[in-house]
Amino acid sequence: MKALFITLLIALSLPLGLIAAEDAHDAAAHAGEALAHAEDAAHAEGNKLTMITEKFGVTWPTLIAQMINFVLVAIVLYKFAVKPIAATLDERQQKIADGLQYAEEMKAQLAAATRERDEKIKEAAADAQRILTESREQSKEMIEKKTQEAAAQAEAIIRKATEATEQERKKMLSDVRQEVARLVVATSSKVLSRDLSDAEKSTFSESAAKELANN
Amino acid sequence: MKRDKKITQLAKKLVELSKDNGVVTEAKVSEVLAGLKQAKHRHHLTVLKSFLGYLRREVALQTAVVATPGALSAAALKEIEANYTKIYGRPISAVTTQDTSLIAGVRVRVGDDVYDASVAGRLQRLAENVH
Repeated sequence: MKALFITLLIALSLPLGLIAAEDAHDAAAHAGEALAHAEDAAHAEGNKLTMITEKFGVTWPTLIAQMINFVLVAIVLYKFAVKPIAATLDERQQKIADGLQYAEEMKAQLAAATRERDEKIKEAAADAQRILTESREQSKEMIEKKTQEAAAQAEAIIRKATEATEQERKKMLSDVRQEVARLVVATSSKVLSRDLSDAEKSTFSESAAKELANN
Repeated sequence: MKRDKKITQLAKKLVELSKDNGVVTEAKVSEVLAGLKQAKHRHHLTVLKSFLGYLRREVALQTAVVATPGALSAAALKEIEANYTKIYGRPISAVTTQDTSLIAGVRVRVGDDVYDASVAGRLQRLAENVH
């Protein structure tokens, strides 16, 4: 980048130098005409190089002054224009590079996040399926258990009811038997009291007394 | 409490004194009562009540109460007396009482023991055995 700017400056400053050289050439042209005539007269056989330089108006002081001027302008431009611009461009370049790198990182992170999200979704789906399966199995087991408990309770209730009914039946039967026996005894007592004669009673009493006496 | 115990012991002793060959006799009881009258015990009324209770119990133990709806022969009574004298090991005398609820047969009570050979008793046992 620096080299590009330096080349650009040189290219820009070259016309300036040419213009300056042209100005110096125009100023020296008038004085040179008189001088040339004198020198032409004095030195007819002059040096070709000197002739060329004179022809193009290149003199050492002007050239040195222009070089110094050029160097100063180059230094100033480099110091106050090229350097900040280069720094700004470098900074922008760095920012762009950072941005691109950041974008790449973000892209990678996004891909990783997407992959991780997909894996998590897949795991969540697997977990959900597993939980659903377990829940179904547990529900099935619970239903079977409750069904068995209900059946057992129903059997127990039926058994208790049967036992209670049987006990009630036995109790009723016993009550009936006792009542029948009581009625039979009462009736027999009345019948025997009425129908047995005194002689029969006496005979039975004697027999009973002997029975007790012989025990 | 201590006084009651002494009176009870005295009453039991008087009952023993009222026996003649293990049998409470009227003569012996009269002698005991006469002696008690002479002794003039401080709690003679209480002693007499206690003596009466133990005497009744003793008489009941040596008496077979034969309940029957009608008359019973003397021979049957003698047999009963002999049997229970043998069973209890002490002289038992039989007395008869009339109980028409028995319908027929006899019921003998010696102390707290009851021997039932009556028609009513048998019917009652029959009814009790029916379940």
